[in-house]
Amino acid sequence: MSTKIPLSSLGRSGHSSHCRMCLLGLPFSQVEVDSSRIAVVFYCLGTLDLLGVVESKTSEIERETWRAWLWEQQTSSKYGTGFQPSPYMTTSAASTDHTEYDVPHLIMTYTAILSLAILRDDFKQLDRSGIVRFLQACQQEDGSFSALPNGGESDLRMMYCAFVISSMLNDWSGVDIDRAVAYIQRCSSYEGGYGQTPFGEALGMSALMFRNFIHYQSLGGTTYCAIASLHLVPDTPSSPISERISPIQRARTIRWLAQNQTSSGGFCGRTAKDADACYCFWCGASLSILGEGGLVDEDALAAFLLRCQFKFGGIAKAPGERPDPYHTYLSLAVLATLPPHTDDTSWKLPCLDTLWNATQDTTNWIKSHISDHNDLGSE
Amino acid sequence: MNPIAPIFYTEEYKDATDYFRGIVKSGETSSRVLELTEHIIRMNPAHYSAWQYRYKTLLALHSPLDEELRLMDALAIQFLKTYQVWHHRRLLLTALNSVPAAEAELAFIRRAVAVDTKNYYTPGRTDKELLEADVRNNSAWHHRFFVVFQSGVRKGDEDRELVLRRELAFTKEKIALAPNNPSAWNYLRGILEYTKTPFSTITTFVEPYASTSRSSTAEQEIVIDLENPYLRKEGGASTMKAVEIWRSLANVHDTVRKKYWEHRIKDALSSIQK
Ligand SMILES: [Zn+2]
Repeated sequence: MSTKIPLSSLGRSGHSSHCRMCLLGLPFSQVEVDSSRIAVVFYCLGTLDLLGVVESKTSEIERETWRAWLWEQQTSSKYGTGFQPSPYMTTSAASTDHTEYDVPHLIMTYTAILSLAILRDDFKQLDRSGIVRFLQACQQEDGSFSALPNGGESDLRMMYCAFVISSMLNDWSGVDIDRAVAYIQRCSSYEGGYGQTPFGEALGMSALMFRNFIHYQSLGGTTYCAIASLHLVPDTPSSPISERISPIQRARTIRWLAQNQTSSGGFCGRTAKDADACYCFWCGASLSILGEGGLVDEDALAAFLLRCQFKFGGIAKAPGERPDPYHTYLSLAVLATLPPHTDDTSWKLPCLDTLWNATQDTTNWIKSHISDHNDLGSE
Repeated sequence: MNPIAPIFYTEEYKDATDYFRGIVKSGETSSRVLELTEHIIRMNPAHYSAWQYRYKTLLALHSPLDEELRLMDALAIQFLKTYQVWHHRRLLLTALNSVPAAEAELAFIRRAVAVDTKNYYTPGRTDKELLEADVRNNSAWHHRFFVVFQSGVRKGDEDRELVLRRELAFTKEKIALAPNNPSAWNYLRGILEYTKTPFSTITTFVEPYASTSRSSTAEQEIVIDLENPYLRKEGGASTMKAVEIWRSLANVHDTVRKKYWEHRIKDALSSIQK
């Protein structure tokens, strides 16, 4: 360990206030989250969960009405059941009257289940078999998953969501595992990370060329999605877990992830870019899943995240930037996974389940209220 | 009902989206739908339903898609990081399926990449700076890897031995230009691994960069990427040489990754003992 300045305290109350404020309302400048609102809800509630203040910072009435609001977003369509981002496209009060434009969304379904679990819902309203049908509808010919059953983006983030949902349901019948795993493997890049889509499939004379300049190269976030997915999926005879990541690939991935911790202490998401708080989680958690979390310099990491704290609460992507719930949550999540060496109790955070990306208490809640009920049948 | 994280809509956005929901429900496809969806997209480019419905309307009206593409040029630059913008372009190009459109697209992409990497010409930037910025563009390296190795053999590239030599020469030249550029080192490692060429074949090139006696600041990052050339089946003396370099990285040049280098040292030492 080199000479270190002792860490000051983690600004816990500022971070919980920041997320609490966002739960009450977002300014119009945030309108882009209209079509991904439940994800923001998850980052806010997840922050409160990590800080252990869900019960003290929200009232019982709020939690009850929020659960009701979340269930309102569960929609059944001809493509099966899942959650929409918000009522932003709901055209009718009758939940059976759907257009092609208010179908469920994969990321929202994953984050809605986590949010409901943080709010300790009993999950009696969860349409298990409908969700399995929805996953089937989202899986494409090439093994990937699209965000929506009738189109939308298709990359490793969606794959990860489909895998976590299957793992939560303890039911993998919605996923063609072999095709999905083969797709993930095609996304691996020579650098050691994973791109959002396999490059070869995306070229052609299309705009995707540009998108792929950004997206097929190794990216911290999609590398996490790939690594976590490969560890979530059960063994199959044609794809045993032990053969999913070859020793050479594994060493290359570890090397690339370790390389991403910059001299600032934080991680960057692409080779030779600036560090960003969210990549501290995506890269740090990936190393942790690979059993190599010990390679991270936790104290330098914590020092970087301290500098990303906003003086009025919340954590930003980089020092001097504006905070948001996404970077706040992911910063705390990596601090829970790879805590610094300090006696200061402000840094004490609960255990995180790095595969589902939720506190251990919340994943236990899901296991006892969803996963263990799989044999009861759904209809 | 108590909504979570409601967005405080402006009247303009609220009116437009109310109107839009009505249109979706009625199934109308008309030129005013195009106006309305453009209006919504300009306020919220991530509104994927507006994009979906806009595309459906363009097809229903047999609208000229190349005109739509030109309109999208401006939006794409403005909302460079929004997925929907690019997805829409891709749909348009696929539907157009024409050579001139594809050529125009390539020119457009070059411009967009320049904006993304901030690698456009600004007064005061020298040619050398521009070249350096390009060398450091990780996307460009990935693109090169795909074109050379993963997209089938192009005409003139049938002699793979020659292609490898050309790529090695190219990469070495770029490394010489900006030695502390991890993207180029990663590319070098990538092509060696892909072609199953032993790392030891480039030892003489790498060695000067790996010298532990020098200690300029540029040196610090250079050495980071030199963990491999001595390894791979060689063992013995070359492993000890690598270990020596890693020790200097762990303790002097690259202390943030101290634990990573120690892990490499442990691995290497245990492999010789086997
Ligand atoms: Zn970020």
